[in-house]
Amino acid sequence: MVNLPTTPADVLPFIIAVVTSHTFITIVFFPGFIHLVIVVMFLTWYERKVLARIQLRIGPLYAGGPGGILQPIADGVKLIFKEVIVPYKADKPLFLGIPLALVFLATLPFAVIPFGQHWVIANLDVGLVFVFAMTSLFPSMILIFAWASNSKYPFMGGLRSLFQQVAYEIPMWISALSIVLLAGSLNLSDIVNAQQKIWFIVPAFLSFIVFFIASMAELERLPFDLPEAEPELVAGWYTESSGAVYMVIFLALYMKLYLMSSLITVLFLGGWWGPAFLPQPVWFILKSLAVATFIIIPRGVYPRLRVDLLIKIGWSRLLIIALANVFLTVLLLSTGVLSAWGL
Amino acid sequence: MVDLSIPPDLTFVVLTTITLLAAIMALQAKELIYGAISLAVSFMGIAGFFVFLDAPYLAMLQIAVYVGAVVVLILFTIMLVRREEAGKDETPEGGEGAAGLWIAGLLAVAIAGVAALAGPNLPTTLQPANLPISQLGPVLAGTYPVPLIILALLLSAALLGALVLAKVER
Repeated sequence: MVNLPTTPADVLPFIIAVVTSHTFITIVFFPGFIHLVIVVMFLTWYERKVLARIQLRIGPLYAGGPGGILQPIADGVKLIFKEVIVPYKADKPLFLGIPLALVFLATLPFAVIPFGQHWVIANLDVGLVFVFAMTSLFPSMILIFAWASNSKYPFMGGLRSLFQQVAYEIPMWISALSIVLLAGSLNLSDIVNAQQKIWFIVPAFLSFIVFFIASMAELERLPFDLPEAEPELVAGWYTESSGAVYMVIFLALYMKLYLMSSLITVLFLGGWWGPAFLPQPVWFILKSLAVATFIIIPRGVYPRLRVDLLIKIGWSRLLIIALANVFLTVLLLSTGVLSAWGL
Repeated sequence: MVDLSIPPDLTFVVLTTITLLAAIMALQAKELIYGAISLAVSFMGIAGFFVFLDAPYLAMLQIAVYVGAVVVLILFTIMLVRREEAGKDETPEGGEGAAGLWIAGLLAVAIAGVAALAGPNLPTTLQPANLPISQLGPVLAGTYPVPLIILALLLSAALLGALVLAKVER
């Protein structure tokens, strides 16, 4: 405990005490702000590289570093110096403000994601519900942004994004319910601790499938990228964004990609647990990046779904599988099949 | 650790100000969409009250259900209206202010009456509920089964009503 400084001589020790405190380090360095920005920049480069390899191209190459790994910095500098064009009669405060809110909403849930036994910013008892509450705000933000653009393509993309995300949120929550039943807690650290003997992907495999598909739809990734749908809607709900606004939106989207990958890691892939030769956070980041890879790959492989198929899969397939899986989990737990793993 | 905790009175005042100002904005906004956003902020303020009262689970559900779902519904309705029409506001006929004052007065009388009746029995300090989330289900289904069933019936009636309405339009 350090008291607020009263004399000028106390100021420097106070600042040192604050900067070296665990709270400050977790918020600013790891797993907080700086780590997130670096990983998100890496992810944009990584996605382009993976897609290029699928299509037998090389991808980013000339921006410096091995394989053009400094490409995100070049892109960022380019986008910052471009002019931000606000469309005619657009709602300027909302058009410029909503992207920032999107980044805020995508970054905030990382406060409860445990990157290691001691590497969590806020060990919230309702961590999982917190993450879902924050991600459930995305569709309305996207719709407001699309409306504020005052243009028809963004608006159609925004409406598509709305019904897609609302439709896939429900199977996602219900599939996470069986994980909560298995772990007996909504605290993400407790959920990871419960997976010390067996990863939840084994007893809740159906749940994993549903959660993975639903999170791809939440992220608007192919084959669920109808809200962006380049051939029909130019670029979907962010058609009118340019320059720094575009960059901020992409920061939010990739932040959400990393968020969903780390959430899948926490819920199904045993979080930070792994052989002891690597530290816990390294295992966590490696697993998250592996999940992100599997979310990225379909973009180079699959075509886009039709709108009616998208809605049909969400409401009449995934929802039913997720509900059935909850009953299956209750059955497994009550018959004691899983007691060998301490569940 | 550095102790930077905020005094509870200040939290209460700030939360109340945000919630009430946003609620007034929601009613007074010229542009309907700003009204919807203010409503979302007001709901967030209510969620803040739940956190303040040591009920984080309710706070999260408040955000997910009200801000995440109800505001989306409202936004959807607003966007079905054309923008020029949405901008126009029907001029008030007068008398709304008086009605508002009447309702505020009645509420004040009711609250004062409750306070006068309960008198010294009213709690003056916050007692954290300390109910673990895993106990929420047993309490709901075991202690209050009848209200739960009535709520379920109400929700199914709403669903059936929505189905009927959708059917008629087709």
